[in-house]
Amino acid sequence: MLSFVRFILTRAVMALATLIIVSLVVFSLMELVPGDCAERYLAFKNTQGSGISVADIEAERARLGLDKPFFTRWTVWITNAFQGEFGDSCILRVNIADLLGQKFWLSLGICLSALVLAYAIAVPVGIIAAASNNATLNNTLKFISYFGLAMPNFLLALLIMLISTVWFGETLTGLFSKEYRDADWSWAKLVDLMKHAWLPIFILGWSATAFALQTVRALMSDEIGKLYVTAASARGVSGRKLLWNYPARHALGPIVNSLGFDLNRIFNELPIVALILVMTDAGALLIEALARSNDQQLAGAIIFLLTASIVTLNFFTDVLLAVLDPRVRKSILR
Amino acid sequence: MTSEAQTNGPISTEDQKAKEAYFTASQRQLIWARFKKQRTAMIAAVVLIVLVVSGIFAPFLSPYDPTIAGRDKDYTNGAPQIPQFCDTNGCSMRPFIHAVERERSLATNFRWVTKVNEDKRLYVQWFVKGDKYELFGFVPGTVHLFGVEGGKIHLFGTDEDGQDIFSRTLHAVWTSLQVGSIGVFIAFVLALIIGGVAGYYGGWIDSVIQMVTDAVRTVPAIPLFMAIAAFMPPELSAEARFFYISMILGLIGWPTLARRVRTHLLTERNQEYVLAAQLCGASPGHTIRRHLLPSFTSYIIVDLVISFPYMVLSETALSFIGLGLKDPVSSLGVMLQKATSADVMLNYQWYFIPVVFFIVLVMAFVFVGDGLRDAADPYSESHK
Repeated sequence: MLSFVRFILTRAVMALATLIIVSLVVFSLMELVPGDCAERYLAFKNTQGSGISVADIEAERARLGLDKPFFTRWTVWITNAFQGEFGDSCILRVNIADLLGQKFWLSLGICLSALVLAYAIAVPVGIIAAASNNATLNNTLKFISYFGLAMPNFLLALLIMLISTVWFGETLTGLFSKEYRDADWSWAKLVDLMKHAWLPIFILGWSATAFALQTVRALMSDEIGKLYVTAASARGVSGRKLLWNYPARHALGPIVNSLGFDLNRIFNELPIVALILVMTDAGALLIEALARSNDQQLAGAIIFLLTASIVTLNFFTDVLLAVLDPRVRKSILR
Repeated sequence: MTSEAQTNGPISTEDQKAKEAYFTASQRQLIWARFKKQRTAMIAAVVLIVLVVSGIFAPFLSPYDPTIAGRDKDYTNGAPQIPQFCDTNGCSMRPFIHAVERERSLATNFRWVTKVNEDKRLYVQWFVKGDKYELFGFVPGTVHLFGVEGGKIHLFGTDEDGQDIFSRTLHAVWTSLQVGSIGVFIAFVLALIIGGVAGYYGGWIDSVIQMVTDAVRTVPAIPLFMAIAAFMPPELSAEARFFYISMILGLIGWPTLARRVRTHLLTERNQEYVLAAQLCGASPGHTIRRHLLPSFTSYIIVDLVISFPYMVLSETALSFIGLGLKDPVSSLGVMLQKATSADVMLNYQWYFIPVVFFIVLVMAFVFVGDGLRDAADPYSESHK
């Protein structure tokens, strides 16, 4: 038990180290951007008609703490970031945590649902495909999963919108109906959300499914040919019991491990799909921050949060694997 | 050996030859032989070659200039014109299209309306003179593969500015191939250096590099990509933008490749031939370049082919949201920008024709990469 706690602690420290490296990368990128927050803010003031001078910019820099050396500012940023505090947005002048808040959790929820959907489809279908000798079935599945990889999600979103506008005459956009947009959370609002959210979940899950399907199928067909499976079937185990209790359990490890990367893949598609479907979530906010206003504070915060969720998921899958897989558990406990 | 073959008759002579060919074949010949056996991969390879060639010769194959210079101002948002052999007035050996006319009168509510004139035929001509272009960037020319006399032909229709979608699609294929190649090349060089150093030296250098690589890998690429691309100065020219985008793609794409290089080097560096080279006094750089790299060139090529479509897709996505390439350059993302409005979706669906080309391009790459991977694996035959 003690060694298990030690294992969890090592993993946690490693996750933390990854996050710190990532934050350094993200923060350096924010620094590389020409111009800083002070200049942007005063440039904005200038357009509003008030005159500004170099002294004003310097004063604003001092106020925001931008005159301190890089390392100090990074330490401050990272300590705040771990407390969920990202300072004010450069352009919008609102607290980023307030601005993102619900939107971030909403996007994360959608992405995780897409991930669940992907594996809910991929695991059974992949196992069946690996177990069957039917060439047509296998080729069809291969083609479908390649097609899923080749067809970028934003194209799929566009095509679904094309179909829905041409045949059904309605555009499937947004996350909430008008009357619920600013309402407090309630059961009715949740139902309304689910009515809208199935489309982004489906679209985001699309290529993740294709990818997961390939992983599951490859792992399963590797395992199915092994001797322990033959031995089990010689003992009279057959059908679903054979598949689930023998090769599937072995293939489980790599699949659980790949969850983090699949979430990464889904995050990649999120901003663009959000843009097409006009959703008001973190992805759309990211595009806005980047494309329209060069808001490096906001962009940095979103990228950091996305990475943090992936790192957290990786941490949990590591622990989960240790709980599920006796081999992994043994290697830790020794 | 020859006497043995003679006593066993002609069949085994051939057997012998086949065996001899197999054992003396170079690595490349073996891969090719295995690759040829895979039908899907071969089909994909042919498709890919056709697409690459049509991309290279895009200026010649496309009837008009893809930029605003080649626009047809009398046929904006025009439907695709399919060449036909027969109409109500009879048939002809030479394919033709019907002429379009624009009119504005009381009958059309004083708006410009394009109308197809069923009685006027425009015959398709081969090798017609048209817009000037430069093949490969330096061979000037004016001859295009096909065109019509006394009008213009738009196989895939036109967009809102009257630009020919067929011409733009061909040029866009070429743009994608270019962006992908540059991106893959940069990612490849970075991966070789970083993965090479990590794998060759091992130890704590490897641990540190691995940690950084893993950290970079966890950052979602496209949001990061957008963040970097958004801060390109907006006054950049189209060409400069093009190179920046390719560079960013490469800068973000290296970690996966670097990891593969490192893993391979770690297993190979303890082999005897490496020790022999080191004992002969070869420098680390020389050993990596001359002894270790050739041992897994085929794997690297496969990885490059596989990572190619992701570069193309990223570029398309980025251009689509307006952070990538911009208008004078033809690219799928740029072309699709115009396709999101409800007006286009309801009335001008031919804006989506280029999408088919891109799915085919990406799938061809994926299938060829898959086939190459199986072909390059020397153990793939023993599995089957």
